[in-house]
Amino acid sequence: MAKKIGAHDGENRTHDSYFLKPGRYYLQGNQACIEGALMAGCRVYAGYPITPAVETMEYASQRFPQVGGRFIQMEDEIASACALIGSSWGGVKALTATSGPGFSLMQETISIAVMSETPMVIIDIQRAGPGQGYITASQQDVMQARWGHHGGGPIIALAPSSVQEMFDLTIEAFNLSEQWRTPVLVMVEETVGHMREPLVIPPRDAIEVIERKKPQDLGIPPQDYLPWGHGVVAPMANWGDGYNVNFVALVHLEDGNIARYSPQANYHCVERLQNKIEGNVDEISRIETKFLEGCKHLIICYGAVSRTAMEAVIEAHEGNGLELGYIRLVTLWPFPEEKMRKIVGNVDTIFVPEMNLGMMRHPITEALRDRCKKVVSIPSFGILHSPEYILSRIQEETS
Amino acid sequence: MLKYLKEEGPLGPRLPLIFCPGCGSGQVLNYTLHAVDKLIEEDEVRRENFLFISGIGCSGRITSHYLNFDSAWTIHGRALAVATGALLANPAFKIVVFTGDGDTGSIGGNHFIHACRRNIDVTILCLNNGLYGMTGGQHAPTTPLGAITTTTPYSNREEAFDLCKLAEIAGAPYVARWTTAHPQQVIKSIMKGLRKKGTALIEILSQCPVHEKMSPVTLLKGFRTKTIHVNKAKESTVGKTFIGEFCDLDKREWNESYQEIIDQFLRTNDKIDE
Repeated sequence: MAKKIGAHDGENRTHDSYFLKPGRYYLQGNQACIEGALMAGCRVYAGYPITPAVETMEYASQRFPQVGGRFIQMEDEIASACALIGSSWGGVKALTATSGPGFSLMQETISIAVMSETPMVIIDIQRAGPGQGYITASQQDVMQARWGHHGGGPIIALAPSSVQEMFDLTIEAFNLSEQWRTPVLVMVEETVGHMREPLVIPPRDAIEVIERKKPQDLGIPPQDYLPWGHGVVAPMANWGDGYNVNFVALVHLEDGNIARYSPQANYHCVERLQNKIEGNVDEISRIETKFLEGCKHLIICYGAVSRTAMEAVIEAHEGNGLELGYIRLVTLWPFPEEKMRKIVGNVDTIFVPEMNLGMMRHPITEALRDRCKKVVSIPSFGILHSPEYILSRIQEETS
Repeated sequence: MLKYLKEEGPLGPRLPLIFCPGCGSGQVLNYTLHAVDKLIEEDEVRRENFLFISGIGCSGRITSHYLNFDSAWTIHGRALAVATGALLANPAFKIVVFTGDGDTGSIGGNHFIHACRRNIDVTILCLNNGLYGMTGGQHAPTTPLGAITTTTPYSNREEAFDLCKLAEIAGAPYVARWTTAHPQQVIKSIMKGLRKKGTALIEILSQCPVHEKMSPVTLLKGFRTKTIHVNKAKESTVGKTFIGEFCDLDKREWNESYQEIIDQFLRTNDKIDE
């Protein structure tokens, strides 16, 4: 008999022995995210193969059944993303990973997940260029992450920069998705996806895992349950919980009523969704800083680039006497505009190295245009910037 | 059957139904609830295990607000992909997917054939009215050759899909076709489908008096005269549509099979086999 995930096996047997023991491992980024997902309680993986995300899927097919989860190779990325919705509403955290073309196919479902407030995690191992492009690294889907799905609903997107962070931020992605009842995207460059470096696995009981609020846990009986009410983030009754919930991705009010269609109801619903994420940007979004005090210039970066950018910044301080501050966006969306405005004083030039033609430089410029003389994009295509290249571009601009 | 319908749904009171006068969707809802009632009464299936999922279109509206069960009104064509995910989380769900001919045969065609191939445990009720009703009567992959619709004003030049043949070839173990004019047969087929571990397709030819521009009575009479049971195929079948059960097999369901893999990794101690 097929069993519900997490159901007790009458013979006192468990899958616990198949979690990685605490210690140092040597894994690929595309695999470390799977270990993170399993630690976060994810037990369903539905995906479709695409380079350069395919190791994630192969590793998931091996690991998920070992810990009592299920893996399925769907017929396409559309179906994969839809299966996450079904699994999440069925009460089990779910994951998929893809790359550019597959990410495009998932956009319809991402929009539905935003509207239906479905916790789920999608990892995009970004490849380069429009179309089939090129299968090497890029950061070219970072705007698609925010605006690619129809209707402009808010999204949470994280940008890991190491194998360790593929593990850590995948756990954080699941926690954020459960806490805020929303799809969370992990935007990874192929660089980090295929990177192999040490990964430290902490003890399982030392990992914070957040679970969605459920009405039964809050003492809300089915007759009093408002599917989209009871606070900023509505408690989520899953299918099978006896709450007779009606999954709907239409404009809806707190009581689930879709009858009172009106511009006001529409505005109210969209505004509530927007406020849930953008209104809590300070709590959701994280940045890392270094050398900010009194810096003359500033470098703002994310993902893999933040590692070579950091090398460049250190080199600038040690070798060139260039007063260069450093900000790394751990969270791309919601964009931490106020957080940055609080810590950035007046600088001369803001440099934004990105593995695209300049995408995040737009919200950065919008946020800090009155704090600097100019914002300079340092693009790189299909390959990670070297620290020397970043430094040479900075020297060109500042000399 | 009213106990299975919410008195007040998100679109207002349950009665009158939101469907156009004479539409077959209300009939299919009625037949489904009769079958569900039997399973709850006779098989003691727990009510919270039922899950109704639909895509978009007139058929999608069956789950949109009336049902006093867990239900999902999902994406056009994608109900089966959502159902697959739900079954990964909990194989105990008794899932009914309400879908239409455009939903299943066109935009969701790929999900449909792969659900049948994998043999996931769903009962698919495909309401086939041969057109896109909700958007105003455009031609569908099931529209007869030569038909005039709002997007085939000079007549339809494409052959129609036989969704039952497609399901059978794709691997669904239970495939049947009836019409809204065959209530008892539909109810029995839905019960069979729900009891079968695996994919069941029950295609139900359903009338659309609005876009077909005929009275419901004429259309329902047509369902009796223009169909022929597959067991009577020796009679003249010219111009007739086959109804009946096309296959009823026992096959391994996806989750049942995958559970064997999961159970290989159950351990009583903390040693991992090398």
